Amino acid sequence: MLQIKNLKKHFEDYLATDDISFEAKEGEFVTLLGPSGCGKTTLLKMIGGFHKPDSGEIWINNERVDHLRPENRSTAMCFQSYALFPHLSVSHNICFGLAQKKLAANLQKDYLAEALLQVGLVPHKDKLPSQLSGGQQQRVALARAMVMRPDVILFDEPLSNLDAKLRESVRFEIKSLQKKHKLTTVYVTHDQAEALAMSDKIIVLNAGRIEQEGSPESIYYRPKNRFVADFIGAANIHKAKVTKLEQAHHYQVSCELGDLIVESEEPPVSDYVYICWRPESAYRAQGEVENTFNIKVENLAFLGNVTDLFGRTLAMNDGESVRIQLDKLLHTQVGKSESFVIPKNAIRFLEEVDE
Amino acid sequence: MKLWLLLLPGLGSIVFLMGSALYTIMIQSVGLHTELGASLDYWSDTLSDPILFRSIEYSLRTSVLGSLGAVILAYPIAMWLRKPIPGKTAIIGLLRAPMFVPGLVAAFLLINVISFHGILNESLLALGVIDKPLRITNDKFGWSVVMLQVWKNTPFALILLSSSINSIRSDVLDASADLGASAWANFSQVVFPLTIPALQAALILIFIGALGDFAFASIAGSRNVYSLSVLMHYTATAYYEWEKAAVIGLVIMVLSGLSAILITLMTRPFANRTRPVISASFLERSHEK
Repeated sequence: MLQIKNLKKHFEDYLATDDISFEAKEGEFVTLLGPSGCGKTTLLKMIGGFHKPDSGEIWINNERVDHLRPENRSTAMCFQSYALFPHLSVSHNICFGLAQKKLAANLQKDYLAEALLQVGLVPHKDKLPSQLSGGQQQRVALARAMVMRPDVILFDEPLSNLDAKLRESVRFEIKSLQKKHKLTTVYVTHDQAEALAMSDKIIVLNAGRIEQEGSPESIYYRPKNRFVADFIGAANIHKAKVTKLEQAHHYQVSCELGDLIVESEEPPVSDYVYICWRPESAYRAQGEVENTFNIKVENLAFLGNVTDLFGRTLAMNDGESVRIQLDKLLHTQVGKSESFVIPKNAIRFLEEVDE
Repeated sequence: MKLWLLLLPGLGSIVFLMGSALYTIMIQSVGLHTELGASLDYWSDTLSDPILFRSIEYSLRTSVLGSLGAVILAYPIAMWLRKPIPGKTAIIGLLRAPMFVPGLVAAFLLINVISFHGILNESLLALGVIDKPLRITNDKFGWSVVMLQVWKNTPFALILLSSSINSIRSDVLDASADLGASAWANFSQVVFPLTIPALQAALILIFIGALGDFAFASIAGSRNVYSLSVLMHYTATAYYEWEKAAVIGLVIMVLSGLSAILITLMTRPFANRTRPVISASFLERSHEK
């Protein structure tokens, strides 16, 4: 189990992480997600021991480790650059950590064989890293970290140097190995798809602070603020005046799209808030239905499985840009006005508008 | 026009100058075109002379110790300079200073420091550490020359090793620490193997320079044994035996070439580790398990 308590770190006048606390239970896959410069890699490097925190505590299995050097912590890191030893063959790379532990030679061989079979590198076992493809190098890095049987395994954007297809397959491999060995994992990425697909828990970071923490479903469907809504997937965000309706959990909001009904178990934080909805929640209006709105089509992109539509509301002052994703082919033209519907339970209240 | 003709100005002049010098020295070593006529006696005389072998031993000893000393000293400094240190540029500049002092001047400076009435002896006397001055100049073993070689060549080794050490990705060193390597394991199993090409270049160039050293040996060298270059110089200018001097010159060149090969062969095995850890049959067995 990993516990991070009030971790702070600054570089000169730049605050990298500001009072961050979270927990990863045994076998849990926790992802630190955020844009570049949000402090996620700094946080990971503090857990690994490469950066010393200014203040705060790091606990692994009820032992405080933030004063320990990297070689004395039971963490293993998969680097973004893979960081393989260029002069060692695949086998020697994988055994490097085991040799440092002074593990008996026959055990090293058993571990190595298991790792090679798991990551499918048997035919490449005696090659140098320079003779391997990017995906194979990534697997060596993975195997090298896994054989250490660390208490916590750390990933620093491990898939960012792979092409899109390979990224998906390695993603599944990492996840299945992690599950099989019940490894407590901290995974850093800026790719929201990766985070949603792999994590048990996502921690969204921005400017050194935690914006939101929760399961992939809750982060996606119940973002707390504009940053999270916008960063995870695409979101349409509007300012809205809220009026409570008589029916329980029902509200009326008036925004750029007109007056809409919202059904939400969580009440809004104030009368004047931001609201958001996902582009795939809207569908084409047929007849007079509640929550219908009109937009002028500005751009259409056919992506195969979905059609991406960018439009503008018909308000006086230029209108607001709206994005809609439809899973059916839409017969319309740029410049035409179209009607769409947002289901009332697809609209989410965000933070208060402060003006 | 063939493209290889473009190589001529550069390669041609090297081949021409090297070739003609080598030709002359070889002709001279067998006494061709002399009044006495061609003979292999110069070779047999020189090669059976114990003075030559004492010189070879002395030169090899001082150059082996000198070049090893320079790289051994350069490694920790280069590792240290990898870290961000205030005033790094000034430190590097200071470390390179010996390269700008000519060998002969350096030798005189050292002699002045360690001579019978030099600073070292006078200081030790004044401090009461010794009763009478130590005789340490022009020692028989060649420690003064070794010291000068190390002093003069460490900056050069530092330039080569530093650039090689700095080119190692810090991720790779972080990974080694992360996998539990101590500072020594990190150096011996990661940094050292990755800097072998630079080490080879440094060792070979310093060794060959030291093997042919004249300046240090003539001023600070032993009074009983000559270095190969000093021996060659005296053979030619004091005894006017130019043919034997040519033989000694060729001996220096052959020794240099051999040492370069030897240094390369001896260091190469450290560069890569690809020896199989487990066999295919072992893998099959564990797969069945």
